[in-house]
Amino acid sequence: MDHNTYIPKLAKIIEIKEEVGGARPIKTFRTQFLSTNNFSFHSGQCAMLSVFGKGESIISISSSPLLKDYLQFSILKMGRVTSSLHEMQVGDIIGIRGPYGNSFPVEDWKGKNIIFIGGGIGLAPIWSVLNTALSIKKDYGDLMLIYGARTSKDLVFQEELEELRKRMPVHLSIDVEEPDWKEFVGFVPQNVTDKKPSPKNAIAITCGPPIMIKFVIKALEGLGFKDEQIYTTVENKMKCGIGKCGRCNIGVHYVCKDGPVYSWAEFKKLPQEY
Amino acid sequence: MEKVLSKKAFPQWVKKLESYTMYLPRKDGDFWNYEVIKNPEIIDLDYLNTVLSPKKIIFPQREVLLEFSTSNEEELKINEVLPEEAQSVIFGVRPCDAKALTLTDKVFGGDFKDPYYWKRRNSTALVGLACNTPPSPNCFCLSVDGSPHSKEGLDILITDLGDKYHAESFTKKGDDLLNLAKALFKNPTAKEKKDLEKIQAESKKKIQRQIKDTKKIPPKLKDMFDSPFWDEESLSCIRCGICTYLCPTCHCFDINDEVTSSSPIKGERVRTWDNCQFPDFTMHSSGHNPRPDKAARLRQRILHKFQYFVELYKNYQCTGCGRCISKCPVGIDIIEVLEKARDYGS
Ligand SMILES: Cc1cc2nc3c(=O)[nH]c(=O)nc-3n(C[C@H](O)[C@H](O)[C@H](O)COP(=O)(O)OP(=O)(O)OC[C@H]3O[C@@H](n4cnc5c(N)ncnc54)[C@H](O)[C@@H]3O)c2cc1C
Ligand code: SF4
Ligand code: FES
Repeated sequence: MDHNTYIPKLAKIIEIKEEVGGARPIKTFRTQFLSTNNFSFHSGQCAMLSVFGKGESIISISSSPLLKDYLQFSILKMGRVTSSLHEMQVGDIIGIRGPYGNSFPVEDWKGKNIIFIGGGIGLAPIWSVLNTALSIKKDYGDLMLIYGARTSKDLVFQEELEELRKRMPVHLSIDVEEPDWKEFVGFVPQNVTDKKPSPKNAIAITCGPPIMIKFVIKALEGLGFKDEQIYTTVENKMKCGIGKCGRCNIGVHYVCKDGPVYSWAEFKKLPQEY
Repeated sequence: MEKVLSKKAFPQWVKKLESYTMYLPRKDGDFWNYEVIKNPEIIDLDYLNTVLSPKKIIFPQREVLLEFSTSNEEELKINEVLPEEAQSVIFGVRPCDAKALTLTDKVFGGDFKDPYYWKRRNSTALVGLACNTPPSPNCFCLSVDGSPHSKEGLDILITDLGDKYHAESFTKKGDDLLNLAKALFKNPTAKEKKDLEKIQAESKKKIQRQIKDTKKIPPKLKDMFDSPFWDEESLSCIRCGICTYLCPTCHCFDINDEVTSSSPIKGERVRTWDNCQFPDFTMHSSGHNPRPDKAARLRQRILHKFQYFVELYKNYQCTGCGRCISKCPVGIDIIEVLEKARDYGS
């Protein structure tokens, strides 16, 4: 009989970091499998995390696949599963199954400039591919990050972002003015238009709330980016993660299996239902 | 293998199959449903179709995927719960319901084979009963590439020839079942073969409902995603979900944890049938819902069956059993919806 993909592997939480507090808290978790494992994945893929007794949630793997010591997830507290994850302590056990879904076609992008554009928790899926690109930087052209959140307190990976500035341009934004904020004020799409990344030999990856993605794409089109140069990830409610429970489809595409990564050219062909 | 069995000998054949778990349609109040049979003496195949198709045996409405527990030492344990490998036979499967399993096979197969489904599927033989007279006035198998004598998905097809049954086996599983009671079966005579042909031809004429030009529907639906048609057609729906719960091809499910003790924690992860006609089915925890209204959900049901599935697997995801038509409390009729869609705007 084939491997039973519904059975999660047990993993221990080895580190928890509070990224964002307040009403919409985000925490980053690092986990290690209890037994030796062969969990290998590609940037953009997700894992189904279990809190036994609460259920499962699909979460992007935010660490680079080149890192073998741990898996990292950054999680916004929403309902049942994510809230109980937020209550967990270092040493607690969760379940992990996967990896599921497709991934960013990083191999095809070798030699190109990459512009990463994220909003809020949307930096999580980007973080994996960004770190992969960084660790083999010589294979790629210029890298740039444009990232924003509602307020300065809602930005994730703040320490890492400061480190990142030493290696590539990082352009942050917040939605409304705050004292001491020296960077861009406004929405992420406006910051894209403001920073004018060149479409020449470039790929743009954008993840975040649907409304942000929509306007980021408009902004990129305004700068001359073609549909094939723009990549995004799509979110839909999920249960099985393997194209069987039937709820995550957009037309013939099951986002859990055929997505979540789409080029804008591919995504435009799907029915407008998301 | 083609054989004939006298009706009187049918219970004896079933008795010979005692080593199998056997399911047969049984009447419970006004309805027929599949039950495990213990006493083959009192059985026959004289029944209309069952309320739920035999899908519920292969893919039960509720099933445990795994158990989890913490011991006193706080150590968490999970335990895979696979169905027991019991050789089973389902008798009296209508051709549309057998074909439906060949469609759920496609979904539960593919890249990730579903072990729960396949454990049962592989260990179950399907003994079909041809529909000499359609069991429902809403049967329309002929319009969706089926027929009242189709063998698709079946191991054996039984046809009622009056005082005897014609039984044809198409698989090794089927041959095994016939071979267990060799003495009861005779080879069909030339006359019996002729009778069979006649019955088959006549049964097709008795089907009361049809979709005209089914082939034109998938390409038409592809262009109707944004049509106001879906608002019009879904107005009366009370989103009870009966249409999809009773459907032999619908496969959507939910997965949830059921807890029997919270400290130390103990419980089961279960999957249960779910339903695309319910708002919660697609609603994100943020409250955003990509299918926010009845129109979007009816569209999903119809497009899934008559466009997406056709594009993915070259089959309609509907076998014409008519259950959703007969049981919808507000009279939404999939044949009418499809025919209206086919002619919409022309
Ligand atoms: C491809 C993909 C990647 C994601 N990556 C991340 C990430 O990196 N970080 C993060 O914080 N969130 C991510 N999400 C969203 C996250 O899955 C949901 O916020 C989470 O499942 C909500 O579960 P809950 O139990 O807390 O909420 P409840 O409202 O209690 O939800 C109940 C169940 O419904 C399902 N569900 C509800 N909403 C969603 C949703 N929006 N997406 C998927 N399933 C849902 C889950 O199975 C969940 O357990 C991602 C979603 C998708 C589809
Ligand atoms: S059975 Fe009829 S009323 Fe109930 S959900 Fe289906 S279409 Fe709507
Ligand atoms: S999550 Fe089940 S089909 Fe995609």
